[in-house]
Amino acid sequence: MIKITELEKVYRTEEVETIALNKLTMEVKDGEFVAVMGPSGCGKSTLLNILGLLDDPDNGSFMFNNIEVAHFNERKRADLRKHNIGFVFQSFNLIDELTVFENVELPLIYTGVKAAERKKRVEEVLDKVQIMHRRNHYPQQLSGGQQQRVAVARAVVNHPKLILADEPTGNLDSHNGNEVMELLTELNEQGTTIVMVTHSEHDARYSHRIIRMLDGQTVTENVLV
Amino acid sequence: MFKNYFKIAIRNLWKSKGFTFINIAGLAIGLSCFILIALYVVDELSYDRFYPNAERIYRVDADIKFGGNQLNLCVSSDPMGPTLKKDYPQVEEYTRIYSSEGDKLVRKGNDYINEEKIVYADSTFFRIFPQTVLSGDAKTALFEPNTVVLSETAAKKYFSTTNASGQTIEIDKKPFKVTAVIKDMPHNSHFHFDFIMSMKNVEYGWNNYLSHNFQTYILLKPGTDYHAFEKNFQQVLDKYVLVQAKQYMPGLNSMAEFRKSGNYLDYFLMPLTKIHLYSNRFPEFEANGNIQYVYIFSAVALFILLIACINFMNLSTARSVNRAKEVGIRKVLGTGKKNLVAQFLSESTLMAIISLALAVAIAYFTLPLFNKVAAKSLNSKSIFSSNFFPFLVALPFVVGVLAGLYPAFFLSKFKPVVVLKGKINAGFKKNIFRSGLVVFQFFTSIVLIIATVVVFKQLQFIQTTNLGFNKSQVLMIQGAGALEKNDAVFKNAVLELPGVKSGTMSGYLPVTSSRSDNTYSKDAVMDPKNALSMQSWVVDYDYINTMDMQIVKGRNFSKNFGTDSTAVILNETAARVLGYEDPVGKKLYQDYQDQNGTRKIVLNVIGVVKDFHFESLRQNIFPLGLRLGHNNSIISFKISGTNVKPLISQIQNKWKALAPGMPFSYRFMDEAFTNMYRAEQRVEQVSITFAILAILIACLGLFGLVTYMAEQRTKEIGVRKVLGATVPNLVAMLSKDFLKLVGIASLIAFPVAWWAMHKWLQDFAYRINIEWWVFLLAAFIALFIALLTVSVQAIKAAIANPVKSLRTE
Ligand SMILES: Nc1ncnc2c1ncn2[C@@H]1O[C@H](COP(=O)(O)OP(=O)(O)OP(=O)(O)O)[C@@H](O)[C@H]1O
Ligand SMILES: [Mg+2]
Repeated sequence: MIKITELEKVYRTEEVETIALNKLTMEVKDGEFVAVMGPSGCGKSTLLNILGLLDDPDNGSFMFNNIEVAHFNERKRADLRKHNIGFVFQSFNLIDELTVFENVELPLIYTGVKAAERKKRVEEVLDKVQIMHRRNHYPQQLSGGQQQRVAVARAVVNHPKLILADEPTGNLDSHNGNEVMELLTELNEQGTTIVMVTHSEHDARYSHRIIRMLDGQTVTENVLV
Repeated sequence: MFKNYFKIAIRNLWKSKGFTFINIAGLAIGLSCFILIALYVVDELSYDRFYPNAERIYRVDADIKFGGNQLNLCVSSDPMGPTLKKDYPQVEEYTRIYSSEGDKLVRKGNDYINEEKIVYADSTFFRIFPQTVLSGDAKTALFEPNTVVLSETAAKKYFSTTNASGQTIEIDKKPFKVTAVIKDMPHNSHFHFDFIMSMKNVEYGWNNYLSHNFQTYILLKPGTDYHAFEKNFQQVLDKYVLVQAKQYMPGLNSMAEFRKSGNYLDYFLMPLTKIHLYSNRFPEFEANGNIQYVYIFSAVALFILLIACINFMNLSTARSVNRAKEVGIRKVLGTGKKNLVAQFLSESTLMAIISLALAVAIAYFTLPLFNKVAAKSLNSKSIFSSNFFPFLVALPFVVGVLAGLYPAFFLSKFKPVVVLKGKINAGFKKNIFRSGLVVFQFFTSIVLIIATVVVFKQLQFIQTTNLGFNKSQVLMIQGAGALEKNDAVFKNAVLELPGVKSGTMSGYLPVTSSRSDNTYSKDAVMDPKNALSMQSWVVDYDYINTMDMQIVKGRNFSKNFGTDSTAVILNETAARVLGYEDPVGKKLYQDYQDQNGTRKIVLNVIGVVKDFHFESLRQNIFPLGLRLGHNNSIISFKISGTNVKPLISQIQNKWKALAPGMPFSYRFMDEAFTNMYRAEQRVEQVSITFAILAILIACLGLFGLVTYMAEQRTKEIGVRKVLGATVPNLVAMLSKDFLKLVGIASLIAFPVAWWAMHKWLQDFAYRINIEWWVFLLAAFIALFIALLTVSVQAIKAAIANPVKSLRTE
């Protein structure tokens, strides 16, 4: 599904030049569950943003489903993104003014799904994350774990082939964290490819393979299964 | 203490320069508008109040309806003033002004200069309207015949000194002795004269209660109720006027009978201080102001000021949300509520003060422009006058405090915990107060846009409507009376020039010029029912074709008919008032008065001319008759071709040869026509200006609001983008709310604008209908501008990289 070779990303500010990704090469197969680990500032989030087509690399190749996407423009990336990729963030990033239902419905609106179909799919996915009873609540009225489950629901409502999760349990206690991890595992078992950034060895063990990064490069890979 | 607040305030304002700039600019523009209009209004209200007894001075006005004609006069009969003083002890003094003779030629060396501000007045003029005397004695100045009082300007022009009393000046070939020189009358007087000649020089059929030719002012004794005094006019009518009216209408027994026949003659008093703003009668000395415009301008000024203040408050509140965190920390640190309020107040007051300083500067430098637009001569020094400036200084404090109070209390009420969590974002969309303010701003803008379009359309209508004559390419040579016996020679000489099609000699033209009212009757004996009161204009054979008027019945004057000296051509209205289907061949009777007493004259109607608009389109067309005769005060030529300059100089050469030393002055008829609508053009310019300003200020506010909204919603925008929202999706989302508000504003503005403009159009007897598309156009313009303003910021927010906005945790 994903094949990147010698990928480079450099951040330039007035004073310093940070090499966030340094000729990084890696591959993710269809249906895999990959964890990315490494010390703070080593480039994990940068990698995830590029994988998620939110940001473009400065150099190197990025094959997504055998298509070279490294030089896609914003429109093409957005189009590819909204049909293929779901995101889960550490800080949930739910919209405060929208209800649970409306938050989950958003991606469907942007991909042009009809209202009746939307309702069906949102309810289906809310059922799956067991938050159906809170569908008319606002994010502020939910616990952190519940909020993250809503975020996961929102990430999968479009049936993406790939889910990118950046420290999905970072803001959660271990109980809620495990719940979210189990949810991700279940999705993976149903065929969704997952790339997850985490600081937790415990969470990483849910995955098939751990990629360890340092200074913008992969250093080791542990295959777990 | 205060110093500290202001120090922090300056730092805070500097930190958010963009916000500060928008806020100060908006308020400054609003304030400067307000200052300019306030100066204008104060000046309009000051007219004639400087005369020491202004509150006791009244002008005797008359409303007359007689013989199908309706007149609202500001003149009365020559014996009216003396009679009032003789019969009623409440009248302390009267004075009359006679100006019917119009312009006069005054000699300077070998040249003659045409003077317009020239009148005759009773010697009591200076008792009622005291003037500053520069030389001579005003009190006795006009006792003797052949005396004249000059203004400072006139004295300097003719004698190069203000010390001109005792000198002799030649007016219309007669020598006058200068008995006093007065300072030029203040600009806020409803008349300005350069020459005041003795009433004793007026040749007139005196003691005629039925002819109205004298502006008559009376000074009532202190404590007299003028409304009560007006009741006495009935006595004057019964005792004096009726007696004279009977000479013309032997059948008339009482004034009540006169009224019963559908006619009237009513006198009343116009307070001096109201003349400028409330009087629009015939013949005013100068174009007066209009209280309606004072109201409109004041309303607009207040609205713009209000919009600017609203913006100010709006932006301050919007910003305050972003400062919530600061407030939270301060509160945690133990800052008292009072201190917080004081801090916010000092910031808003500081901004308001800076705005005021800017506004005064703007007003100061744009005043000349404003004077031009509003046809005023306001002095920029009056901004700092003692009765205006304190008010101005107080204003920013009021605005500052009002603008600061709301956010100050709004914020200081926050619970620190909530604020520190940064959870008050919802304050934006759901704030009814702020939405109301946006609605109000656009309401004002849309009303002004509609007003502008309607005024523009009406002026266009005036320019293009069929007037019944053709005003284009008619060159009017004014003051042609100076040609004396050479007038016909001159006319023929000009007619020989190439490019001159035809010419006519007559001072009576369908633009501002001579007018003469006469009374006729259908039958030999006049009574109120068969009378026809109409304009009777003296014209020549070539008048109708030069003016491009149309004969609809009968014929034009012709040299082939020997009897045309008693012929009259009526306009359609006159024919209708007389009740004739076809008046050709019918007779009209007129009482003619001269030294030998009264004679009857019999006129033959030879034709009917299609109604033409001889007054402005504000008025209906009244009866009018054209008579063949000799009146050479204006000679008009219909010319062809575009190269008029050389033609005019050729005409001027002929003039110089035939009227040596006499002033040559010309004017195009369409220009004279346009001049009749100066007031409306002014309204148009003013409403365009204010519409632009109102929109500008509203947009500034909108821009600020959208900026802050986008700033607050960056994270949400980022999330939506990640979820697949496109830039158009996001721009639509950000703009939608505002556009909805503009839509609501339109719906409120439509009926208000319709009502106001409908009322304005009532001033015109001939007017346009307000068409529906005007409303749509205005709403569209407002929407378009709002969309432009909003989308600039919205697009900026939408194309930002979501990665960045999501990083800011
Ligand atoms: N927009 C940016 N501008 C400049 N430098 C950036 C930017 N984004 C990331 N960086 C820098 O790039 C490097 C990699 O950042 P990145 O966010 O990918 O790290 P990370 O591995 O996700 O760290 P953490 O575990 O703390 O989330 C860091 O040194 C960071 O400071
Ligand atoms: Mg990270």
